[in-house]
Amino acid sequence: MTLLFPTLAEPQQFSVAERLLFAGLAVASAYAFWRRFGVVLDKILKSKKDASFHLFPIGKRVRDFVWEVVFQAKVIRQRPAAGLAHAFVFWAFCAFVLVTLNHCAGALGFGFLDPAGTIGRFYFWFAAAFALACAVGILGLFVRRFFIRPKWLGEKLSWESGVIALLIFVLMATFLASFFVNGAGTAVRILWWVHTLALLTFLPIVPHTKHLHLLLSPFTVFLSRGSFSQIPPLSGDEDFGLVAGTDLTRLVSLQAYSCVECGRCTEHCPAANTGKLLNPKTIVLGLRAYLNDLGPASQEPLLGKYNSQQAAFQCTTCGACEFQCPVGIEHVPILVGLRRGAVNTGAWEDDYGSKLFLALERGSNALGLNPAERDKFIEKQKLPLFDGTQEYCLWLGCMGGYDPKGREIVADFARIMSFLGTSYGVLRKEKCTGDPVRRLGNDLLFQQLAEANLEALAQNKVKKIVTICPHCVRTIQEDWKEYGTPPEIEHHSEFLARYADRLPRVQNQEKIAFHDPCYLGRYRNVYEQPRRVAALAGEVVEAPRNRERSFCCGAGGGLTFLGEETGERVSQVRAAELAATGAQTIAAACPFCNSMFRDALAARGEGAPQLLDIAQLAARGLPRPDAS
Amino acid sequence: MKIIVAIKQVPDRDSPVHIDAAGKWIEESDLQYAMNESDAHALEEALQLRDQHGGEAIVLSAGPERVGSTIREALAKGADRAIHIVCDDLGARDALGVARLLAAAAKQENPDLILTGLQSEDLGLGQTGVIVAELLGLPHATLILHVEKTGTGIEVKRELEEGWFQTIELPTPAVLTIQSGGNKLRYATLLGIKRAKTKEVRQLAAADLAVDAAPVAVLEEIGLPKKQKSTQMLAGTAKEAATALVEKLKFEVRVL
Amino acid sequence: MSGVLVVMEQRAGRLARINWEALAAAHRLGAPAAVTAVIAGAQTEAPAAEIAAKGPGKVLRVEHPLLAPYTADGFSIALEQVIRAEQPEYVVFPHTYQVRDYAAALAARFGQVLIGDVVSIGDGPRFTRQLMQGRLNGNYRHSGSSPCFVSVQAGAFPAELSNSGPAEIASFTPSLDAAQIRTRPGEPFRAAAQAVDLGSAQMIVGVGRGIKDQANIALVQELAAALGAELAASRPICDAGWLPMERQVGSSGQTVAPKLYLAAGISGAIQHLVGMKGSQCIVAINKDPDAPIFEVADYGIVGDLMQVVPALTEAVKAAKQ
Repeated sequence: MTLLFPTLAEPQQFSVAERLLFAGLAVASAYAFWRRFGVVLDKILKSKKDASFHLFPIGKRVRDFVWEVVFQAKVIRQRPAAGLAHAFVFWAFCAFVLVTLNHCAGALGFGFLDPAGTIGRFYFWFAAAFALACAVGILGLFVRRFFIRPKWLGEKLSWESGVIALLIFVLMATFLASFFVNGAGTAVRILWWVHTLALLTFLPIVPHTKHLHLLLSPFTVFLSRGSFSQIPPLSGDEDFGLVAGTDLTRLVSLQAYSCVECGRCTEHCPAANTGKLLNPKTIVLGLRAYLNDLGPASQEPLLGKYNSQQAAFQCTTCGACEFQCPVGIEHVPILVGLRRGAVNTGAWEDDYGSKLFLALERGSNALGLNPAERDKFIEKQKLPLFDGTQEYCLWLGCMGGYDPKGREIVADFARIMSFLGTSYGVLRKEKCTGDPVRRLGNDLLFQQLAEANLEALAQNKVKKIVTICPHCVRTIQEDWKEYGTPPEIEHHSEFLARYADRLPRVQNQEKIAFHDPCYLGRYRNVYEQPRRVAALAGEVVEAPRNRERSFCCGAGGGLTFLGEETGERVSQVRAAELAATGAQTIAAACPFCNSMFRDALAARGEGAPQLLDIAQLAARGLPRPDAS
Repeated sequence: MKIIVAIKQVPDRDSPVHIDAAGKWIEESDLQYAMNESDAHALEEALQLRDQHGGEAIVLSAGPERVGSTIREALAKGADRAIHIVCDDLGARDALGVARLLAAAAKQENPDLILTGLQSEDLGLGQTGVIVAELLGLPHATLILHVEKTGTGIEVKRELEEGWFQTIELPTPAVLTIQSGGNKLRYATLLGIKRAKTKEVRQLAAADLAVDAAPVAVLEEIGLPKKQKSTQMLAGTAKEAATALVEKLKFEVRVL
Repeated sequence: MSGVLVVMEQRAGRLARINWEALAAAHRLGAPAAVTAVIAGAQTEAPAAEIAAKGPGKVLRVEHPLLAPYTADGFSIALEQVIRAEQPEYVVFPHTYQVRDYAAALAARFGQVLIGDVVSIGDGPRFTRQLMQGRLNGNYRHSGSSPCFVSVQAGAFPAELSNSGPAEIASFTPSLDAAQIRTRPGEPFRAAAQAVDLGSAQMIVGVGRGIKDQANIALVQELAAALGAELAASRPICDAGWLPMERQVGSSGQTVAPKLYLAAGISGAIQHLVGMKGSQCIVAINKDPDAPIFEVADYGIVGDLMQVVPALTEAVKAAKQ
């Protein structure tokens, strides 16, 4: 029995010298730990308070904490094998809390878990199971990092990771080995001391390395802003965004120190994947380096030595980074914050950016076109004007109002609404919702646009809005909240899905590859509705990266209004991926995605799949307007 | 350098154009107003000179209360202070009348340089700056794209017809009218707006400038031009359509 | 005060068409006999003879070495003296860059303004000029004492050829001192020869995907050469490497506003439209009658590029002979 279920052996007695040695080392270790951790904690606490942070409602925080921290859900889901290995390491650490406490207490004569007792036996066996899984896991992770070397972990080999891995392995190995030695004798004592030294070496290393996340990340996950990509309002007259160290808030500093450098953000970043300067991991680590060197009281610009302004303006705000960061870092508000710091102070000098801002300063749309063009479209298409009596206000947006393709989508959607008998109208005048200037960090312009629009909507007595553009949906529903109370709004995919049963199906064996727009999928959690609509016209097939892992088209973050990209075109990479599914049609649900893919597919030449919005697919079955 | 930039607030370029009941001007109730475009370039040139050589960039504008928003925009973009000549009948004055107001206000300041835009987007006379120079007895140059300070005054780059340019040297004080496109405009920033709140806007009453207002050229009535923009499709064979197009290019568009 | 003075403008001894148009406009204000054409400069003999043949009542040579090169001071002072001597009721100018530089200052010396860039003269006389960037016309009347200063827009008054005998040529020597000329103009120059300067091109021919093949670009190049226009392209053409990126017109390329933009085989996607919508005249050639480009075009031809473009090149060449 004892051979199959061995007992943990521990030294029975410690000499005074040993105890003193242990105590001395423990104190030294704790001191070394605090010397660094104290500094980090100080920097975080000395950072600016987050003005708009609310602890309540606390339900979501607790749920996220349990799901992401305790169950390691994000860690496992996005990278199953490595994630599971890490999960075991984490769970082993949790399980080892009592083991370690007992280990140290035992040295001073206060051990409370008896390896021979029932509780002790059970507990140590429990811990041993995890220790085994942990040891195997850490070995696997070591091999992955040092031999397989996936590219998002970076070019340089991380020696600290090696050391940590070794220490963890030693801790587990010594623990497990202790089951197989005699309680009396030197072996057990050696194992005990090796374990102790490993432990006392590990402790002070933690705050000096990315393993700080052991202590910080549970807090980071718990204390997040509360919703995806939430851009905090500016607090007061002197706040222009993340200009210098003094603007870094506690949340941002906490997040900067929590980064484990896993590179999952980099792996999914459209900019990083197409040869741009931007790497979300580098942004976060740049902030950490800034805090380490200069601290939260420094006036030196954040964009300069520690992070590049050029990189900050290559972000499409797709959110793939933030969406699956396992330690709760919120990259998008950080990037928008850095952009705010540059734009609100006029430090960003970019021809295309200035052109966009100047166009919206004077005019009503982001394209700089005469609003009479939109009037002409409404007249030609005979769209009803909103007069306060209709159920829906159909918001055209800049693309729906001025882009020839966007107009086609609006026309088909309007046909469907008429077919369904839904009452709707379009506003006589619209101003751009301000999405591109919001993501680029121009708060002055955004405020002007949001306030003007909110007033116009109130005057027109708009209660419900439906629109074809996910960027409009997001900006109106979330970002305008900062300046008033926006009406209810939904995306046309949500509207159409509700009525999908009433829309005629087209009997077609056509394969349709659906591309999840960032602002509909990750930002709004809408994945099934557009697919239901697309299914009206054929068989929906999935691109390799779909749903929350969808790969951006490249237009977001205001980038569609900026100049040429460096490196590969994001839109071409994604278009290639969608075309490779073998589908005859690519279905889009966002006029910006549509615009980006239009060029990218054209570059692929003859034989490229056709590109249609889900509204156009759904309208296929309707009787043609000119049919008698 | 002490630079005065004369700025005009004009109806936005995309404003709907409806003739008012009297037939003398357009309906103003639905209009949005903005800074005249070449004036914005004049302001930018002034700010760049000020940034380079120190001194002051002062905004000068005549018009009713609503002009205040354009003045604030200029201050937000970086001008140091402003002078607002409050005048409710600007439209009833001709270029000479307006120039007299501006010259009287500018004279009090004794500037090194007065910049105006080349011409306004509403009346498009392009004379106010030139007349100001004449009234103040100052040398001037028009259609300027770029200004450099020299030891003896300034050197400017002037646009000529058909893609030619010319540099001109002139002493200061001087008056320049600035052409659009010579420099890159800066966008309004939150920081600029916040700083503008504390900048001085001095108001002068037009009457106090003791200036004769009776116009010499009177705008009696306005009307819509006969030709409205619509697409003329040229039909026929390739040769026929080509011939028809060349006719249009020669006689209507006048580029051949 | 009577009579009409027409101030002519020479550039390197040559007189542009707009001068004859100004003369024609002057005939709306006074009988030919009452019209005096003024030519100022350092050398005025040859231009004066040319003007005399065109039928004004009299030609006045205002010659002085300080009148070349042109300066606002030189011309204002000299012409002020001429006007005070001749006492005309009207002074008519062609609306050129040079006139925009000094005429208003000259008028101010008489307590007058310039009624500038006039497109028609009606009874009264009533002067019509364009407001709100061509969206409105305004009728002006001159009130007060003489003289009335007017400048006329190029192409607004068709130049008439006179068949009366050559006019009398007189001379006037203004009194000018070098100290009165306060500006020092340099020699005119062209912009540094850049590979491609779409921004300052007066005419642009843009080529789009409708061209189908790289080899066909040569056809469009010939048309551009015939017109004296620059060649530009929509993004897909530049992406494919058929034309360099500097020729891209559109949201991620250049924004242009030439006098003429000829879009050949361009559909009119928004990314391209925003780059050329400001062009004064847009001509579109496309085989698709529903192409969005036709909505913004002033003139459109629905047809096969391969047929229309060469036909157009020929027609342009013929017209220029």
